[in-house]
Amino acid sequence: MIELFRSLFAPPRHLILLVLAAWLGMTLAEKRTARHGVTNEAFNNLVFYGLLAYILGGRILYAVNHLPAFSQSPLSLFALNPDLFDSFGGSVAAVLVALIYGQRQKIPLWNALDALTPFLAVLAVGISLSHLAAGTAFGKPTDIPWAIVLWNAKRHPSQIYELLASLLTLGLLWFQRPNPRPGLFFLTFAALTSAARLFLEAFRGDSPILFNGIRSTQVLAWALLAASFAVYEWRKQSTSGNAS
Amino acid sequence: MQPIQRRIFFILILVAGLAWIGISADPAGNAGAGGVPAPQAGFLAPDFTLKTPEGETFTLSKLQGKAVLINLWATWCPPCRAEMPAIQKLYDEYKDRGLVVLAVNSTVQDDPFAIAPFIEEYRLTFPILLDETGEVSQAYQLRSLPSSYFIRRDGIINEVVIGGPMSEALLRTRIEDILE
Repeated sequence: MIELFRSLFAPPRHLILLVLAAWLGMTLAEKRTARHGVTNEAFNNLVFYGLLAYILGGRILYAVNHLPAFSQSPLSLFALNPDLFDSFGGSVAAVLVALIYGQRQKIPLWNALDALTPFLAVLAVGISLSHLAAGTAFGKPTDIPWAIVLWNAKRHPSQIYELLASLLTLGLLWFQRPNPRPGLFFLTFAALTSAARLFLEAFRGDSPILFNGIRSTQVLAWALLAASFAVYEWRKQSTSGNAS
Repeated sequence: MQPIQRRIFFILILVAGLAWIGISADPAGNAGAGGVPAPQAGFLAPDFTLKTPEGETFTLSKLQGKAVLINLWATWCPPCRAEMPAIQKLYDEYKDRGLVVLAVNSTVQDDPFAIAPFIEEYRLTFPILLDETGEVSQAYQLRSLPSSYFIRRDGIINEVVIGGPMSEALLRTRIEDILE
């Protein structure tokens, strides 16, 4: 079953899964935008400009970071190679553009983040499926009965753990009762995702190591979890007067 | 949940998280370590010995100390054809700095008589190897053509690029990485 899936969506076809997830995420999120005080049109524009900034920003920042390579072949700037991409730079560009657009359209930040949450949660499912298809984000070697054979060793099915965690997060959020305090929905997603990453990273076989075997991704996930809790508390207090 | 209960819950989760980071620390490092051969970044590149159409033999493991680009291709594959001029150009540019290009023709799924005209047409000067039994395609778990493997001087795969055509900038950045 897994092998069939991996054959079907072998790279570069695994990117189809991300496109499908983005589309499904948009469709689901659109159904709930009114609940968060954001119109469908504003939401669609926010996602459109954000994605556009992600794609253009990621490529431009990659080119800026590798200027000698691009100066010798400027047309490579338009090449259809997804590998010529700085995903961190793209994310920063997307957040900046979404913030500017949101401010201009007077969309409150926390409401916008809440409206985006189902989109992000479905995208997380798509990312874990694309990891499974490409065999990236693989697990460490193990002899457990549910191990999968990947890269010539029996390994933890880390991509399936990731998939289950993202589906669980999506399910918990989707069936959560509406919260009158803007931002708490998004912060719950951020906390659940950080907690899942913190726990599941331990089964990964490709984690960058900080020192003495400590995984840097776990440290980052812990910091994001702590930040999510802190902001959750702050939002809870600052909006308690407005809550019904 | 009352605010005080919630805060205690958050603190407990964070303490448990810190403990988990310590418990799950892996002094052995990540999985690429251990030298398991696999066609994935971070792993030792699977070894092979193949012949060129002229009968010259190349063994990957004998190239340790050199940066190697393995490009799996076929004459009928349009992206393979499209990226060959850029590979040749960068081979000319970087071969003196220790770059070796091994263009492995997936002969098992190609027309052997089309290979020589292909080499002629693109004026390829790097070694063209014939994978007549599909041994390399199997070892590298080939699923799409072209597939390229950028191998560092220590024999570890630095990056895998599936599909193409690779642009000149992509090739240049990846080659610079493995020559470091």
